[in-house]
Amino acid sequence: MISSAHIAIRRRALLKSSLAITALAAPPIIAARGETPVRIGMVDPLTGILSALAASEVEGARYTVDLLNKRNGILGRPIELLVEDSANDVGTGVQKTRKLIERDKVDVVFGDVNSGIAYAMSQVTNELKVFQIVPGGHTDPITGTDCKWNVFRICNTTSMDAAAVTGNLVKRFGKKFFFVTPDYAYGHTLQDRFVKNLKALGGEFQAELLPINTSEYSATLIKAKAYKPDVLLNNMGGLAQINCMKQFIQFGMQKEMALGGALYELESIKSVPKDAQAGTWDMEWWWNQPNVPEVATFVGDFRKATGKTPSARHWFGYVAVQSVRLAAEKAKSLEGPKLALAMEDMDLPPDVALQPGRVYYRAGDHQLMSNIFVGDAHPPTGSPDDVFTVTSVVPGETAAGPVSETGCKMVHPA
Amino acid sequence: MTAATVSPNTQTGTARPWLTAAIVWALLLTVPFWLPMLGGYTALAARVLVFGLAAMSFNLLLGFTGVMSFGHAAYFGLGAYGAGLTLKYIAASTPLAILAGILLGGLAGTLFGLFIVRRRGVYFAMVTVAFGQIAFYVAYSWDSLTGGYDGLRGFSRAPLHLGPLTLDIVNNDKIFYYFLLAVFAIATGLQGLLLASPFGRTLLAIRENERRARFLGIPVERHIWMSFSISCCFTALAGALYALLNNFADPMGLHYSLSGEIVIMAVMGGMRAFWGPLAGAALFVILQDTISSMTVNWMSFVGLIFVLVVLFFPRGMLGIFQKGTGK
Repeated sequence: MISSAHIAIRRRALLKSSLAITALAAPPIIAARGETPVRIGMVDPLTGILSALAASEVEGARYTVDLLNKRNGILGRPIELLVEDSANDVGTGVQKTRKLIERDKVDVVFGDVNSGIAYAMSQVTNELKVFQIVPGGHTDPITGTDCKWNVFRICNTTSMDAAAVTGNLVKRFGKKFFFVTPDYAYGHTLQDRFVKNLKALGGEFQAELLPINTSEYSATLIKAKAYKPDVLLNNMGGLAQINCMKQFIQFGMQKEMALGGALYELESIKSVPKDAQAGTWDMEWWWNQPNVPEVATFVGDFRKATGKTPSARHWFGYVAVQSVRLAAEKAKSLEGPKLALAMEDMDLPPDVALQPGRVYYRAGDHQLMSNIFVGDAHPPTGSPDDVFTVTSVVPGETAAGPVSETGCKMVHPA
Repeated sequence: MTAATVSPNTQTGTARPWLTAAIVWALLLTVPFWLPMLGGYTALAARVLVFGLAAMSFNLLLGFTGVMSFGHAAYFGLGAYGAGLTLKYIAASTPLAILAGILLGGLAGTLFGLFIVRRRGVYFAMVTVAFGQIAFYVAYSWDSLTGGYDGLRGFSRAPLHLGPLTLDIVNNDKIFYYFLLAVFAIATGLQGLLLASPFGRTLLAIRENERRARFLGIPVERHIWMSFSISCCFTALAGALYALLNNFADPMGLHYSLSGEIVIMAVMGGMRAFWGPLAGAALFVILQDTISSMTVNWMSFVGLIFVLVVLFFPRGMLGIFQKGTGK
């Protein structure tokens, strides 16, 4: 029989064991290596509604790090990618950014898919003077009114995405829009730009702002049905957009109105029923570009390494790591201010740009000027990833307009 | 430290509470020197202090008054917004920001407390959740003032001017940590004094047997209301410090999920021990920081540890060191 004294002793032993386990679970001391690696910290929402998009961005960056480490790394040094989950929460994103900078001493920070988090991170990296690339957070102020010397962006601004597709939607379907928009930085600026362009074309609209992680859309879709729009613009992102699409089909609304909007990414199109694989959208990069030979090589290599067809998010991750390499080689340094100056007006070579025309980081606002692929989503034709047909390619500079319109006043440190 | 006099087990007459306090302060004072050697960083220790203070403040209510609130994040978040809005729109003064944070969260708690003080048990807990969510949606919807879902940005803590001396809490993380520690020391010192006072003893009496306390002529509702208000003021102070730590405030700081985390910290650490919630906060914050770097399923591990603590150490991590069978 076990006495209470025995239980007490065992409990103490268990407590000691737990404390020992906790101590072991503490962050490990990272051993010094022969060559100090270039450390890149990446903060992305690996959990939450944007997780599929974030996973692709991280996968693209990891693929590129492996690729470059097989060659010469960056400035002859190996690259180490440290990934942190922002959990789609701004406070956590800020905390993880500080962790990467203060504990891990990263040279460069990437992130976040969530515009609000990317925006908040830029305040931290600027305060701590660390170079940051925003691969996939679209809200305008990051390279607009709140642009910073240390922050560059790869994906388009919401203004660029709206400008590229609005005319196309009006021309093909009509001038009456209903917006389903997430109620945060990305959604606000995106809808504002759409409305501005739509009004310029004499259109009218109704809109519903919803929490970013909304999963139930019946009330909103009933409102949309009553409004009888020509187009329903689904501006939600990730899983929220997918849920909205599924309910749109369940309501049979595809027979009454067209679908469209800024972004309907490869990851999302593949996750919805065939009936919802429709509408006119932007792609920020597309894997099937027969006239650009470098794309076929990249897609082939990527498929061999990961078994997947690269999406725009994979390309963002790829371009982010390659951009650090190119800027570091140009600056011969990894110091933030030198990297920033090297990146300004830096052209991406064809094997990194992976699209026609000139692709470069505009000095005035640190925005990558890349093409926007406007086209139609459709059920797979041929391969399972063949779900989008490009109908026109809009040059980035045309969609972005001049720097003076962005509101950016770039100030470099003295 | 007054903690020695406020432990529920002071009647045992041992020196253990003093020893616990000595160990806690020795660890806290030396954190910036040994934490980096273990792979940690100073901002992590600062986070532990902030959440430790929030959990200890919450525990004034749960552990020492016997009343459960599931909405304490509301006062934490209001404290953060109070500090952030002051720095952004009124004046670049850190003390003023802290004061504004305490006032906003504390006053909200004091006023709200008036309405709920007669509720008990699950009804009390539910109403606190409801108020927390009201505060969350106000912050979420008032985009022009609070920044909405994206949070309040564009403010920064300001250096402290103490006569001829200027403390650079903006650029020097160690100085900022010791500033936080000083505020933490004052707050926990006040909490300790409060619990050692006749008022604190009365709260313990209410916790142990509310009916008997009432028969003794103690105005139970008034005491619970005062305890709730004081708890909210200290929680708001923690929120204000959180805003200074991140130079940022967002609606998730008011969300019920954070209220749940504060409860977990207090229960894991030991709600009947003065320093228990601090230990719980340290464990929670370090686990979150460490495990979330390894796996996206980090919450499962934190949940598992919480379940194990509740099953095997019902009085929490520090409760295990206490004598007696107190339930």
